[in-house]
Amino acid sequence: MNYERELLKGNTDSLLLWLINCQPTYGYQIIKELEARSNGYFRFKEGTLYPALHRLEKDKLIRGRWQKLPSGQERRYYYMTKKGQRALDKKLATWRDFSTAVRTIIQPETI
Amino acid sequence: MTDKLSNYLDNVKTHLKFDSAVKHSVVQELCTHLEDKSQELKERGLGEEEAAKLATESFGSPQAIAQQIYQVHGQGTWQEAFFAAFPHFLIALLFASYYWQNIICLSITLIATVCVVIYGWWRGKPMWLFPWLGYYLLPVVLTGILLISLPQSWTWLAAIVYIPLAVFVLAYIVKQTASRDWLYVSLLLVPLPVAFSWLLILGTGNEFLASNIQLAQLSVNIPWVVFSFLALAVLTVFFMRVRQRWCKALTLLLSAIVILVSVALAGGGNIPLWGWSVLALFLFALSTPAWLEFRS
Repeated sequence: MNYERELLKGNTDSLLLWLINCQPTYGYQIIKELEARSNGYFRFKEGTLYPALHRLEKDKLIRGRWQKLPSGQERRYYYMTKKGQRALDKKLATWRDFSTAVRTIIQPETI
Repeated sequence: MTDKLSNYLDNVKTHLKFDSAVKHSVVQELCTHLEDKSQELKERGLGEEEAAKLATESFGSPQAIAQQIYQVHGQGTWQEAFFAAFPHFLIALLFASYYWQNIICLSITLIATVCVVIYGWWRGKPMWLFPWLGYYLLPVVLTGILLISLPQSWTWLAAIVYIPLAVFVLAYIVKQTASRDWLYVSLLLVPLPVAFSWLLILGTGNEFLASNIQLAQLSVNIPWVVFSFLALAVLTVFFMRVRQRWCKALTLLLSAIVILVSVALAGGGNIPLWGWSVLALFLFALSTPAWLEFRS
C-alpha cells in the first residue's frame, strides 16, 4: 500500500502535466479523467490535487485562468506553459528509460 | 449551497493566510469543485445534506488542505527572500561603512524604503514587503524617543500629541498586517527593537542631535550593530524560504533571542530601566504571534 502511494506521489506531476497537456482542464475533471483512464486505479484525493496544481502553477509549469461558462458558473482552467511542456518531455524521457531498465531486469514472463 | 458546504469553505478560509485576492481565488476554486461533486452525488440518488457531507469528507480536513496550499504559496522564491532581507543588509552596510551619519545616504535609504513600501502595499502586500514596512515605521518610533529626550516642553509635546498619534499609526498598520497573517506582524516589528536598543546605547536625544556621541564607545559597538542586522537578514531569508509555518514561527523567536543577546552583550549597562521596559514590550509583541502559532 505504501509502495503504491510512493509510486503515485513520485508520478503525480507527470500525470497532471500529461492531462493538462492533452487539453486545458479543471480540478474536478482531472480527478474524473484520471479515474476513467486508469479504470479506477488512480483515485486522487482533492486534498492532494489542489496543492499539487498550485505548486505546478507556482513553478510556472501550468497557468490557471478563470473562465465563465454559458451557465454563468466560473471555473478555473489550467493551461500548459512552454516551461511545462519542456518539463513534461523530460519527465517522459526519464520514465521511458526507467521502465525499460526495470523491464530488462524484471521480465514479466519469469514472474 | 448548503450550510455544510459553506461552513467547510469558511473553515478553509480561516486557515488560509494569504492576501484577500489569492484567498478568494482558492476558496472559489474549491467551492466549484465541492458543488460539482455534490451535484454528482445527488444525481446518484443521495439527498442534498448527505451529498454535501460526502463531498466535504472527500476533501479531508479543512485545516490540512489549507496548510498544504499555504506551504505552496507561503514559500518565497530566492529573489523574494533576498529582497525581503535587503533592508537589513542595507542598514548593516550603512553602519559597517559609517555612512549612517551621512545625511544624504540616510535620506536616500529613507526615500527608497518609502517607495518600496508604497509599491508593495498597493500590489497586494506580498511577503517581502513586511521587513521594509518595519523600517518605514522606524522614523515614527525614533522621533518619539528624540522628543522624550529633548528639554521639558518637548517631552510634554511627545506625551500629549506625538506618542498617541504614533501608537495609532503603529496599531493601524499592525492590525492590517495581522488580518493578513499574524506571523508577518513579527516580521514587521523585528527592526524596531534592534534600532531602538542601538539608539539608546549609542546616545539619545540632545546628545544624538548634537552629534555628541562617545566615539570610542561607538567603535566598540559597531561590530555588534552590524552583527545584529546581518543576523536579522539571514533569519529573514530563512523565514521566506521555509514552507512550514512552525519553522517560520521558530525563526521569529530566534530573531527575538538574537536581538536580546546581542544588545545585552554589547552595552546592556547603558540602557536605562525605561529603555529595558520598552525593549521588553517590543520583544513580547514580536514573540506573541510565534507563540500563538505554536499554540494553534
